[in-house]
Amino acid sequence: MRVVMPIIILVIWLLMAVLGPWLPLHPEHIALEHILAGPSVHQWLGYDDLGRSICSRLVIGASTSFQVALWVVLVSASFGSFIGAISGFVGGIVDLVVVRIIDIFLAFPGILLAIALSGIMGPGIGNVVVALSIVGWVGYARLARAQVLSLKHREHVVAAVSLGTRPITIVWRHLLPLIAAPLIVEASFGIAGVVIAEASLSFLGLGVQPPAASWGNMIRDGARYMLVAPHLVLAPGLALMLVVLSVNLLGDRLRDRLDVRARLHD
Amino acid sequence: MTLVIITSAWLSIRTRIGDLTLLARVGALSRTIISSLLFPLLLCSLLSTAQAADAPSVLRFGLASAPITLDPRYATDATSQRIDRLLYRRLVDFDATSRAVPSLAHWTALAPTHYRFVLGQHGRRFADNSWLTASDVKATYESVLNPVNASPHRGSLEMIRRIKVIDANTVDFYLDRPDPLFPAYLVIGILPAKAIAANRAFSDRPLGSGSFQLVSWPTQSKLVLQRRRDGQRFEFLYVSDATVRVLKLLRGEIDMLQNDLPKELVRYLSTREHVRLQRGVGSNFTYIGFNLRDTALSDVRVRQAIAYAINRPAIVKYVLGGETRLAGALLPPGHWAADAQLRGYAYDPQRARQLLRQAGYSQRRPLRLTYKTSSDPFRIRIATIIQQQLADVGIEVRLRSFDWATFYGDIKAGRFQLYSLSWVGIKSPDIFRYAFYSSSVPPKGANRGHYASAEADHLIDAAENSDDLTQRAALYRQLQVLLLKTVPYVPLWYEENFFACRSDVVGYRIAEDGNFDGLNTVRRVSDSSKRS
Repeated sequence: MRVVMPIIILVIWLLMAVLGPWLPLHPEHIALEHILAGPSVHQWLGYDDLGRSICSRLVIGASTSFQVALWVVLVSASFGSFIGAISGFVGGIVDLVVVRIIDIFLAFPGILLAIALSGIMGPGIGNVVVALSIVGWVGYARLARAQVLSLKHREHVVAAVSLGTRPITIVWRHLLPLIAAPLIVEASFGIAGVVIAEASLSFLGLGVQPPAASWGNMIRDGARYMLVAPHLVLAPGLALMLVVLSVNLLGDRLRDRLDVRARLHD
Repeated sequence: MTLVIITSAWLSIRTRIGDLTLLARVGALSRTIISSLLFPLLLCSLLSTAQAADAPSVLRFGLASAPITLDPRYATDATSQRIDRLLYRRLVDFDATSRAVPSLAHWTALAPTHYRFVLGQHGRRFADNSWLTASDVKATYESVLNPVNASPHRGSLEMIRRIKVIDANTVDFYLDRPDPLFPAYLVIGILPAKAIAANRAFSDRPLGSGSFQLVSWPTQSKLVLQRRRDGQRFEFLYVSDATVRVLKLLRGEIDMLQNDLPKELVRYLSTREHVRLQRGVGSNFTYIGFNLRDTALSDVRVRQAIAYAINRPAIVKYVLGGETRLAGALLPPGHWAADAQLRGYAYDPQRARQLLRQAGYSQRRPLRLTYKTSSDPFRIRIATIIQQQLADVGIEVRLRSFDWATFYGDIKAGRFQLYSLSWVGIKSPDIFRYAFYSSSVPPKGANRGHYASAEADHLIDAAENSDDLTQRAALYRQLQVLLLKTVPYVPLWYEENFFACRSDVVGYRIAEDGNFDGLNTVRRVSDSSKRS
């Protein structure tokens, strides 16, 4: 049960995200006569402040949040792991500089930096991905570096070094496979963080621009009518909560599975 | 009663302090210090409870935007101007048809370029008890006209050549050119000459002869005024979020609010207990402006097509309040120079498509435009609806919303294709020269779309040079018909006004232009009188 429910929710999220753009939906169609109409048989989730179908917007919003999550995690995980692994393996002055940079980024509140960056670059989905990636790579870099430090004195690495293999090849072939598990766990938690961060930025008006739909800006628009039409906020709010909760639950399970030390104690 | 309890509590504290051996050893000195610290504290709390009992007599007014300056020479935003009306008095005011009527002074035109104003007895005592005289009038207007002061109202008063004080109650204005509407321009609150000479900072230390006076302005979001007639205090609280404003009204944290709520929240308020709602027609004109220097928009058929494509009745019905009126011209029906027959363009998408085809646009070559609006959620909502309605006839509109300063700056600088704005508080038809005369392009005037029509210029000149008010009104009506035909603006509507207050607040009257003059009569009925 602890695995099945989250998987079902995530599969629905994935299906909505992948199929959403191909479905015959009208997320931007305005029907003034339906403004703020509540849920009904024809429209399960009702209509928003411009008479647009909340159901359609929820599906398109799922696609937005999935795209952003996918890209941000891909970019920041690959970039961060690479930097961290190289820095840990090479050591010396390179490592020192990288660690200082990581410290500076960690000392800065992540979402605040993202807000500042999207403020400077201007709103838009592409810029949200860039801003969140700039904030997000640090965690992967630190993790990868710590793992590499603990692995680089293993015999197979020493052997590779003495055979004259290039550092990049060593990192790629002899270290990355060993540190992949914790990075995957970190990435799974990262998805939840990015979904929330994208919604926050859109809520603040810095993310996806209207009339395009995102859960964050749906909540923002709906908050103004919370007194008269709570369904505007409830639908995207619940969707956001369920997705983040499912990702976190699955991430937990994944960690239990992949963490050898935890299994040894069982 | 409270005093007794507090005194006994005080005594028990003292005895207990006395019992503590440690403190006793420190000696009498510390006890004196403690008692000298505690006693004023207790007194303060006592006084504040006494004040709290009186507190409901303060009336709190929720504002959607904070006032910027309390100096009428510089105020241009609606909130500041509305509050300045309470703090200062003007020479003239307006009746229901927007004709100038005497306020501080009545006037006679001694010659077409020579007006004599005689101050009445009413409303002449400044808040500092000095008496308003003709030299204060002269000093106020000279200060507005002085280019060094860079008052934004200078432009509309430039025809004043000389101001001469005859005696303490009489002042003469000499003009460069005749203008029978001249008295209607004298709407700036009168400041005391002495304070002007002393360079008083009126923007946050106002001093006028209005029915209210300033008590304090501790933060940008809280302004405290006092009604001079009866000492009633008013707090103007700035609450930017509409939902929060409604919640504060329901909880009694504010006693009243006016306008700037979505229709749905107004309807919600009307169903609540302890809240009373008033609605009334408004006179503030909302429109879509065009940039006529743009190649596409210089074609009158394109502008007409846009006007035909907007379904105003639907927007009014579903999004704006019930008292909102469709607009056909800048001056609202009821104004002495208005044409009450003008209703603007009817919704006709067929006609719009046809006009666009004639102008050379088709599905393969669609018309693409950028529409700028402020970042106010309500304006964005309306702009989004208009965007879709224009898309239905084949016009692709990109929506751009900016914070107010950027938006207004862009509009004034002519950086736009389409934009929407409102004219607030328009009384005098000199607005036509300001907004449509070919030479009134910014910074000289507000012809922001560079509308240039010889016929319109001629009508404006003719109307301003005519001595007869009926003929003048007729010329302005012709002008408004012409403006509707050539569409430098798409007239949209005059938004309704509404006022919501706690049920124990009575006596407010809504003004058509949304000013706060109703605060002169508003009062709180006490619980006892409500029961009776």
